[in-house]
Amino acid sequence: MNRKLFHVIRREYLQQVKTKGFWIGTILIPTLGLVFVYLQVILASTLIPEGKIGVVDLTGRLYEPLVAEQKAVSDVDEKDGKVEEKSRKMPAKITFFAVEATPDTLPAVRKELNQRVQKKEIKAYIVIPADGLATGNVEWRARSVKADMILRESVERGLARAGTKERLKDAGVDPSVYEKARLTVKLDPREATEKETSEDAKNVGANLAISGVLFFLIYISIFIYGAFIMRGVLEEKNNRIVEVIISSVKPTTLMLGKIIGIGLVGLTQYAVWGLFAFTITLPGIVGVMGLSGGALPSIPGMTILAFVVFFLLGYFLYAGLYAALAAPFNTEQEAQQLVMIPGMMLILASTMWFFAFNTPDGTLARVLSLFPFTSPLLMFMRISVQPPPAWEIALSIVILLLSIWGVAWFAGRVYRVGILMYGKKPTLPEIIRWARATD
Amino acid sequence: MTSAISISGVTKRFGKFTAVDRLDLEVPLGVTFGLLGPNGAGKTTTIRMTMNITKADEGTIQVLGKPLADEMQERIGYLPEERGLYRKMTVIDQLLFFAAIKGVEKKAALARLEKWIDVMDLRPWLAKKTEELSKGMQQKVQFLGTIVHDPEVLILDEPFSGLDPINVVLLKDFLVDFKKQGKTIVFSTHVMEQAEKLCDRIALIYRGRKLLDGTVKEIKAAYRDRVPLPPPVEPEPELEKIFIKAVEESGLAAPATEELR
Repeated sequence: MNRKLFHVIRREYLQQVKTKGFWIGTILIPTLGLVFVYLQVILASTLIPEGKIGVVDLTGRLYEPLVAEQKAVSDVDEKDGKVEEKSRKMPAKITFFAVEATPDTLPAVRKELNQRVQKKEIKAYIVIPADGLATGNVEWRARSVKADMILRESVERGLARAGTKERLKDAGVDPSVYEKARLTVKLDPREATEKETSEDAKNVGANLAISGVLFFLIYISIFIYGAFIMRGVLEEKNNRIVEVIISSVKPTTLMLGKIIGIGLVGLTQYAVWGLFAFTITLPGIVGVMGLSGGALPSIPGMTILAFVVFFLLGYFLYAGLYAALAAPFNTEQEAQQLVMIPGMMLILASTMWFFAFNTPDGTLARVLSLFPFTSPLLMFMRISVQPPPAWEIALSIVILLLSIWGVAWFAGRVYRVGILMYGKKPTLPEIIRWARATD
Repeated sequence: MTSAISISGVTKRFGKFTAVDRLDLEVPLGVTFGLLGPNGAGKTTTIRMTMNITKADEGTIQVLGKPLADEMQERIGYLPEERGLYRKMTVIDQLLFFAAIKGVEKKAALARLEKWIDVMDLRPWLAKKTEELSKGMQQKVQFLGTIVHDPEVLILDEPFSGLDPINVVLLKDFLVDFKKQGKTIVFSTHVMEQAEKLCDRIALIYRGRKLLDGTVKEIKAAYRDRVPLPPPVEPEPELEKIFIKAVEESGLAAPATEELR
């Protein structure tokens, strides 16, 4: 190995790893992530539908069943903790009260109820019209039409069940049939092969969590370490040290050393996270989110391999771009405009994750997993969900390698000229001219 | 005899602007050579081409009798006009890094630095980050970084610009010492007085072209009849020397160690 390159890498690596900021970031990022997840879970459990709700029942048939439904549901919940169906989880914090009204008195009743809602004496009231059992249309009146989504859904479900039973009665069917007849269907996903799909692979929630976490890691690291490279390049320019260095080291060696050094800093961070993540964090997140049945499923080797390969390819592609786009400028503000280009491409790639996860062999996913600036993220996602044909993976890697070569060529030339340019902020055409200029 | 630096027919253009125009220069081994000229004359471009940082459009450049190559950079000490240090690195790490990228092992570099660290009063600062040092102290570290690999040729671009009087003396003394060891020094300046005191040979460049070239004596002789002589002056002490004396007599510790940010 080129000794000078080694020394540049070593300096770059040690300078980053020696800082307090690096270790604070390394420890803070997963800690914060964990805190956020826990907070979400804790806060989500406090979202219980509750409140006093007036019922104006013009059908005259639904009030009693509605109250009964709600009571029954709460009873079931208390009896056996296991909730089979989400819709049954309606805690008994809703109090219904009947409001007598006829179509003639309705306007006056409304006026009074509106006032009570505005004075916050009651949360809301519903008006079931006379043809409510036929149409299913029920009026909901509250202070806001947007808020209280959970409460509204809960009332909706209670009304639906009560109403359905009444309609069964009308059809001459015993309403108790309803509970017996209800069938909850669960699709059991298996791969269409002779080999039985393992329990792990079927755990969609956990698989989504793992693919998602790794996908996010590629995305965020390229973003963060790209910014590191940009800052490093600008720092060397601002400190006026760059010309001192390139009198000993070729500009391309300096650039490559910086990219590899910072890449190694990233890998160090992964190693530290990996140590904690697979012992504490990930099972914690997965467990808390209730996505897995308890134990953390093992990550398939193919996913890990794809993660490493596409992270490295993506990193080198973007790192070269960041180095080239920072070199011509003197300050971060100046560089920001051009550096936004790779940033936007990364964001575009990251927003496409669901397409690759849900429809891994769809046209969009296939195209984006070949396009070099999105493929590191999306090809990884596809592989982790449903490995595409080998030739597609190979093609994606070849395109990436060629693109890295092209970016390196461009970056090397722009970097070499850019680092010696002080003063006036160059324009994009000027920068492109530098790349095309001969020695 | 091989020259330390041999530049022949070198031209460099930036777009339509010709920075250096068919330049020929010979720097013999062991001389102190002054590259003179106003700002924008092409001094820095010439030096950068000699350091293989910028490539010449036409012509050839040889250093120590060999064509430009990366290995040659290890035999030259270079102080660019735009110079600086890594602010967050400690002084010693920085110096060892400069040595390492010139191909000098840590042990050899430490041995070589040992003498200079005391001469420059740097010892108390070795473990400090550069940004904690005064400007004058940083200049010393910068200079030490230029010579840490014991180069055969020293190329300095405007070395005196921005130096405080103490460091000017330090640098001058050092250059004299370096020359006594038979090494070659090339430096650019637009201050003629410095060139006159330090140089054996000078070249004057203007708009990328060489106007004058030769020993200081030769050039003075050639222009004796055409340039009015200065009135005779009563010898008097130089301000620079007065400054140093005043500092010494103040009884305060040596200025370098007392300097704070």
